[in-house]
Amino acid sequence: MEVREINIAIPRYRRKWQSFMEINGITEFSSNEVDKIEKTFMWDEDGDRAATGSIAGNVIKYVAVCSKYKEGGALFNKVVSYLLQQAAQMGRFHLFIFTKPKYVQSFEYVGFKKLAVSENGAILETGVPGITEYIEKLPHFEGKNGSIVMNANPFTLGHRRLVEVASSKNDHVYVFVVKNDVSLFTYEERIELVKKGVQDLKNVTVVSGDDYIISPATFPAYFLKSDQEIGTYQARLDAILFKDQIADPLDITTRYLGKEPYSKTTDSYNHELLDILPPEVNVEIIDRKTADDKIISATKVRQAILDNDQALLHEFLPETTMEFVKNNYPDLKKKLIEKGSK
Amino acid sequence: MGIKETALAGTLESSDIQITLSEGSGINIDLDSSVEALYGDQIKKVITDTLNKYGITDAKVKAVDKGALDCVVKARTMAVAQRALGTTEEPNWEVL
Amino acid sequence: MEERLRRTMMFVPGNNSGMVKDAGVYGADSIMFDLEDSVSMDQKDAARILVYEALQTQDYGNAELVVRVNGIDSPFFRSDVFAMVKAGIQVIRLPKVESAQMMKDLVSTIEEAEKKFGIKVGTTHVMAAIESARGVMKCLEIAESSDRMIGLALSAEDYTTDMKTHRYPDGAELEFARNMILHASRAAGIAAFDTVFTNMNDIEGFNHETEHIHQLGFDGKSLVNPRQIDLVNKVFEPTKKEIENALDVEAAIEEAQAKGSGVISMNGQMVDRPVVLRAQRVIRLAKASHLINEEGEYIEE
Repeated sequence: MEVREINIAIPRYRRKWQSFMEINGITEFSSNEVDKIEKTFMWDEDGDRAATGSIAGNVIKYVAVCSKYKEGGALFNKVVSYLLQQAAQMGRFHLFIFTKPKYVQSFEYVGFKKLAVSENGAILETGVPGITEYIEKLPHFEGKNGSIVMNANPFTLGHRRLVEVASSKNDHVYVFVVKNDVSLFTYEERIELVKKGVQDLKNVTVVSGDDYIISPATFPAYFLKSDQEIGTYQARLDAILFKDQIADPLDITTRYLGKEPYSKTTDSYNHELLDILPPEVNVEIIDRKTADDKIISATKVRQAILDNDQALLHEFLPETTMEFVKNNYPDLKKKLIEKGSK
Repeated sequence: MGIKETALAGTLESSDIQITLSEGSGINIDLDSSVEALYGDQIKKVITDTLNKYGITDAKVKAVDKGALDCVVKARTMAVAQRALGTTEEPNWEVL
Repeated sequence: MEERLRRTMMFVPGNNSGMVKDAGVYGADSIMFDLEDSVSMDQKDAARILVYEALQTQDYGNAELVVRVNGIDSPFFRSDVFAMVKAGIQVIRLPKVESAQMMKDLVSTIEEAEKKFGIKVGTTHVMAAIESARGVMKCLEIAESSDRMIGLALSAEDYTTDMKTHRYPDGAELEFARNMILHASRAAGIAAFDTVFTNMNDIEGFNHETEHIHQLGFDGKSLVNPRQIDLVNKVFEPTKKEIENALDVEAAIEEAQAKGSGVISMNGQMVDRPVVLRAQRVIRLAKASHLINEEGEYIEE
């Protein structure tokens, strides 16, 4: 058995790799999934493909073992071991796997910890720092704890209103800021603006969602069958993870959501949260704050930056965010133009 | 003494143990082993003793055991300690 | 050099803890722990330590213990040699040897390590792997490079590549190298090891090759799979006639000793040293093959 790294950008290896995945029941190769792959390894036995696995950021994906070697799992263990060693070489010691529920046990056997399992998928992690370390580092509070998850791209008066409502109804409120950087405002900028924007609310703690409040867009879903709803799968896993791994140890009893009249995606996401979080975690959907009958949203704020609509920015943003936008206006606009709006 | 950088050594194959060292205070071992009830204490002792020989007294240890003998536990701990201290090609001959 | 059986030298990947642990149970005459080709660059340190610890703690019976270290020009060479000498390895095998100087350099590193760790200088033996045309042409000087030398081994994979060919079932492409290695070894009074046979499913081919190298006069063969050990041993089993003859020689020695005579004779003929050595070798083989017991009596099946 020999292992080597292959470059799937080269057509010959892409074909070899993809057809092997297809034989093993994985058929989803959208650029969304494949482009994130940094390293791919292939195991050969006398010229025949035996197994493969890839590393994409802190995620191990596209792991497949030829059915000939499935018994006993020795090759699977070898593959996962090797991927972990390679990731360690890249300085990554904390890794996730998103997989079918039926493979949970195989990954648990090699030291992965289950974070969430739904009907269609599962998230597991291994290495350090893991969920235990994440929860340990957060402040813990007695009493009635509420929570809000936000991307805050950027922090608006709408977000502020949501936090105020939660703050008034709870002894304590956690605001989790999504860490994943796919936004106009960097994570550092976003969390800083949230902190500044809620500074006066003494019972509010702003924390990083780290790798555990996962932006749905980043969930690998390549192992799903095409008839399975990707959005639903992501939302359900995210909700289960939040409920079991975060709300439970932090004694969070309520999660506040902003009502979403425009985005169908967010609306169905909220729907899944409602389905999964109660009764352990109540879900309260708060009407969006309006300004002049206009519903405040971060999307509109980004558009207003592009259009240089000062009036709307003043209407939608708190002083703290406004100041940041003013000071960084040319940069933000440039970034927006480069990205092609949004 | 603590470590310089997070490191990993060993595999998840049968008869082996995979050990990750990261920053921590005191030696704190999270062991995952099918024989934990019987040999967990022994495995932890070998890990702790070996780290101490390298002067490491502060580190978080994650170990996934697949039925490793003591000598393998020791060897993997030594390898991960050297990696975490950045001394793989200047082994500490006094420890070996 | 200590005379011993070296029919089988089993390769054990140095970073595979399962195989390192179990290497002693198969009955190989020599066990060769590999720190070189079977270990990826980023695991060299881990393999070195694993083999080191195993050598300290595991019981490998009577097997001769050999370690293949990384090449003399690699950054791992020195640490490999130091660790293995400290662990008390019996033989260090150097890969890709092409000159006596390379063996001398190895020996001087070993000596440095022996002194550092308070081990008697000269304890650690060495052997050379011949893997190139140049290595083959320099066999004799390599074989005679040091009194620590115990053997030469052919490594066919790199050799055939160097020769612009590859391996064929009949082995014609290896004939010259085999003969060179064998002659150099015999001239220097050391062992000769044939190359590995990697196709695990071709038992007939394996047996054929083993019979061939046995006929040429090799001491034994390198192996990658423990299943091949019995097959080699079977080929190396002496015949009943060889055993009878060897026992006769032994009896003649006893007789000479009883008479206090320095001359050994059999059937009125003087028995000279090569005949005695061959008889001793046949008896060792017969005992190892469980054909006769310690007293030289046949073991009934």
